[in-house]
Amino acid sequence: MNWPQRFVLLLMGLGVLGLTLELIRRRRLREEYAVLWVCTGIMILVFVVMPNILFSVAAWFSLDHSVLMTLACFAFLAAIVLHYSVVISRHSEREKHLTQELALLRDELEKLRAESRSPPPAPAEPKPRPPALRT
Amino acid sequence: MEVLRADSVRRAPPDLAGRRALVVVPAYNEAEAIARTVRDLRRQAPWADVLVVNDGSTDETPERARAAGAKVLDLPVNLGIGGAVQTGYRYAHENGYDLAFQFDGDGQHRARRLADLARPLLAAEADLVVGSRFLRPRGATSSVGRIAGIRVLAAAVSAVTGRRITDPTSGFRGVGRCGIELFAQVYPQDYPEPESLVLAHKHGLRVTEVPAAMRRRRGGVSSIPFWVGVHYMAKVLLAVLMEALKAPVRLEGEVAR
Repeated sequence: MNWPQRFVLLLMGLGVLGLTLELIRRRRLREEYAVLWVCTGIMILVFVVMPNILFSVAAWFSLDHSVLMTLACFAFLAAIVLHYSVVISRHSEREKHLTQELALLRDELEKLRAESRSPPPAPAEPKPRPPALRT
Repeated sequence: MEVLRADSVRRAPPDLAGRRALVVVPAYNEAEAIARTVRDLRRQAPWADVLVVNDGSTDETPERARAAGAKVLDLPVNLGIGGAVQTGYRYAHENGYDLAFQFDGDGQHRARRLADLARPLLAAEADLVVGSRFLRPRGATSSVGRIAGIRVLAAAVSAVTGRRITDPTSGFRGVGRCGIELFAQVYPQDYPEPESLVLAHKHGLRVTEVPAAMRRRRGGVSSIPFWVGVHYMAKVLLAVLMEALKAPVRLEGEVAR
């Protein structure tokens, strides 16, 4: 790897790390979603400092180091997309739960409003709400 | 001595023995049929409370359901059939119901037949009872293609659960307390009927079918248009098989087993 290549890679690695950390600092990115990006930045920096790692791994697999880099990029992107799918699934489950809870609470509110307008003759025993369901 | 005809015996209201029953009617833009469905239920199955879950309808579904005397829960956004039905199960769970039934808002289910679903539950012979169109000949009113699709799904669900299931897509069903608790916690989303049978079986619920003739739809459109049938089949088959592989949920509460 020549010096211009290493210089560009260094900028890329620092850029990814810097941008990720800055987004976290500004609270626009939550840490739990930033792990993979931080790993990506660190990996790039490792290759800049010790490019021989890249060359020996490429040699193991009998690949050119540029091909190995490309494959590694694909693997990282695939991991990030998979991670997003998991996050989206979790969020849609939460969104569903919140929507249902909202409908149930609105119903309870209507019930309470109706009760306060015309108090029942004997106040009903307050029924304990069953424990919240895990989702 | 008066001899009761078999028919009138079947139509006698079930002996609830103090237990409370809820009929959950998921409804998305069913304004045309919902009022008649609710009135049918209140007349033919007065032993059960009626809960319409309005799944973010944009027409007069909630107003007409309320006017017909149903309790209505309004979901602020459309969740799809699975999310709507589960809202009903959560309502049943929070309000201490012992039996919960699912009943389509479009009028294809017969309110009079609810008692047939209730009986095996009340006799503790089953935990989930499905009204099947195919247990008796003459009952089916579907197209040839749809019946073929249902057969394939039935074979898959029967294989996975080890029980003979003839109508896995039927939305006419009832559960007891453990079913209410299970479905309040987990319920499949998109085309939930076949998947939920596997889910129930995995959690130790006894699944049974009873014959139930159904009417043709009164209004609205089926949630499964014919041209998406193949896609539907593939998706549901995959979902049924995946459901069989998923880890069971740990149930909380006194009916967990």
